[in-house]
Amino acid sequence: MRRTLGVVAAGLAATLVIAGCSGRDLEGDSSSNTAGGEQITLKVAFWGDMGLDNLKAEYEKAHPNVKIVLNSGEFNAQHEDLQKKLVTGSGAPDISAVDEGFIVQFRNQADKFVNLLDKGAGEYESKYLDWKWKASMSADGKQIGLGTDVGGLAMCYRSDLFKAAGLPTDRDQVSKLWSNWDQFIEVGKQYTAKTGKKFVDSGTNMFNPVLAQQPVGFYDEQEQLQMNGGPKVAFDVSMKAIDAGISANLASFQPNWDQGFKKDQFAVLACPAWMLGHIQETAPDQKGKWDIAAIPGGGGNWGGSWWTVPSQGKNIDAAVDFVKWMVAPEQQIEVFETVGNLPSQPELYKDPKVLAFKKEFMSNAPTGQIFAATAANLKPQYLGKKNGPTRVAVENVITRVQQGGLKSDAAWAEAVKQADKVAKTAK
Amino acid sequence: MSLTELRPASHRQVPPPKNVKTRSWLYRFDNKTVPYVFISPFFILFGIFGVFPLIFNGIVAVRNWQLDDPAANGWVGLDNFQRLLTDEDFWNALGNTFGIFILSTVPQLLIALIIANLLNRRLRGNTFWRIGILLPYLTPVVASTLVFAIFFARDNGMANWFLSLVGFGHETPLDWRAQKWSAWLAIATMVNWKWIGYNALLYLSAMQAIPKDVYEAAAVDGAGPWRQLWRITVPMIQPVVVFTVILSTIGGLQLFNEPMMFDENPQSASGGSDHQFQTIAQLIYKVGWKDLDLGYAASMSWALFLIILIVAGINTLLTRRIGGER
Repeated sequence: MRRTLGVVAAGLAATLVIAGCSGRDLEGDSSSNTAGGEQITLKVAFWGDMGLDNLKAEYEKAHPNVKIVLNSGEFNAQHEDLQKKLVTGSGAPDISAVDEGFIVQFRNQADKFVNLLDKGAGEYESKYLDWKWKASMSADGKQIGLGTDVGGLAMCYRSDLFKAAGLPTDRDQVSKLWSNWDQFIEVGKQYTAKTGKKFVDSGTNMFNPVLAQQPVGFYDEQEQLQMNGGPKVAFDVSMKAIDAGISANLASFQPNWDQGFKKDQFAVLACPAWMLGHIQETAPDQKGKWDIAAIPGGGGNWGGSWWTVPSQGKNIDAAVDFVKWMVAPEQQIEVFETVGNLPSQPELYKDPKVLAFKKEFMSNAPTGQIFAATAANLKPQYLGKKNGPTRVAVENVITRVQQGGLKSDAAWAEAVKQADKVAKTAK
Repeated sequence: MSLTELRPASHRQVPPPKNVKTRSWLYRFDNKTVPYVFISPFFILFGIFGVFPLIFNGIVAVRNWQLDDPAANGWVGLDNFQRLLTDEDFWNALGNTFGIFILSTVPQLLIALIIANLLNRRLRGNTFWRIGILLPYLTPVVASTLVFAIFFARDNGMANWFLSLVGFGHETPLDWRAQKWSAWLAIATMVNWKWIGYNALLYLSAMQAIPKDVYEAAAVDGAGPWRQLWRITVPMIQPVVVFTVILSTIGGLQLFNEPMMFDENPQSASGGSDHQFQTIAQLIYKVGWKDLDLGYAASMSWALFLIILIVAGINTLLTRRIGGER
């Protein structure tokens, strides 16, 4: 038994080598190598809809020996599952998507991933946004992932609700309403005064985009907590919004929030490109009621992912090939057109296909132009090791203010205290 | 008689000499060893999934094991436990766990006892009622908790709708998750709802084994139904009561699903914005898989294990007294 296994493994390895060599010369003709019938199965883990259904069919057609199994799960659960499989040393998917919020955690375990630089990924460096390339790189220079999308920020708004409140509905005019966050809050007050309804979904969804626009986030590059910089600015904006009574105080991505969409509980939503898919999924009957304007303060990034290849996989080379294929321009554009995820390669922001694209669901907004412009203006921000837990701790303080358990003037001291606590747990 | 026929003397007279040894060895093996073989699967599985994790957990508990910082890993002795003593999150979680535990276990067992007593009488549609009370137990905990989470929602929640009917919270609806007492109450409600029927059925089965003449004698002596319940039924089903008390102690102190899914933002595992209802099990999960500090999480698990042992022990002693000494 063991011997047969050995033979099979050797055969598999040989095929891979052959496939690898011929891949370059005979693109699309790799079927000739499958005479031996070696089937490879690649498991791909991600969340939501990353537009892979069509890509899978295309790739399988071109590579009959490769079978791709897509596993879409819940956002946090997928990351947690990957972390557990890395600890146990087996069971991880061949390819796993990793989000910005988790990339720091995983790049610190770079030895558990294939160093893509060993697999000829060096040539990609120049193609990517500089910060996107660096964010998935470990301290000792290993590259664990190739970027797929970025979350350049814009502001989605309900044009029908705006109309009812007597506000302008045209996207350019709306953008002019709020060049900064103070003006944004003023517009919110007008809206709430007129309609009696809340304007934004949550104080935390004010905090996060404002923080994303700051040059320094929670931590500087020396991993020191910097609460008095960016976080203070963002926190003040969120407190101001809560005090103005324009926040519906709903927790994002939770059932109440989804309900909020349907019940018109808020009229605006900070939205990175990938949020469009979520709106469409949550409130499909609001087609044509949403539109996109510029975000106050301009720029900022929220989320965006990388494709990684855990090193415990059996078909590492085939997995790397597939990742390279997925991040190639044609496929990135296809994903953009199907689900709206904005590519992280600046070259594509000039692509006529991207620039001409209009999103029907969002009142035919030219999402290609809008998001390409935001992505080009992005200021990179360093995300510390404890960025995720620190964010949760501060968000919790904001939620406490919204729940009425904490006064807004005492909240900042509490936020600093909670963030310090998280920072101190890092040894 | 038939036995003697099965063993005719002729067979015993000519035993093939060389087989005697093997056969007696076989008999001995059959008698002495085979029973152990038969019960071994449980112990093997228990060893793999019970003892080994416990020991391994103990080892992890005295190590620093930080997933996102492999360089800092190593032995730290009892540092993790020391840190536990001064960790306010831990004590807060301990308080929450006991609060919810008491709010859920005490009413749960009392109501179960009363329901079982009612079901033990002659009722129309006996089986219907008995199966009916078990239904909540059959519902997957995730499904029922999700429904309860919506039931206790701030906006559009049914619980608040009921409250508004009696004129409470018209202006500012109660945010169940914002205060400790309301959050505990909501979670305890979920636990009670699920387990009352299960415990009632256990009590009922024990009650049916009590001979009727005991009650008749008591009735003749003038004992009312309430007195009969406490003086006859409870002492006579005492082993089952002890069993349910231990089981609900273990379950109550390991409470995880309900607080987890009750949270507005379950993935942060923080049990409310100010940890209002974060239980120990939830804190362990958060420290281990959100803060990625496996060593510290392991020491918490061990602390929880010891706490459960102590509390279950105390509860058993208390329950024993109910029946035995009165």
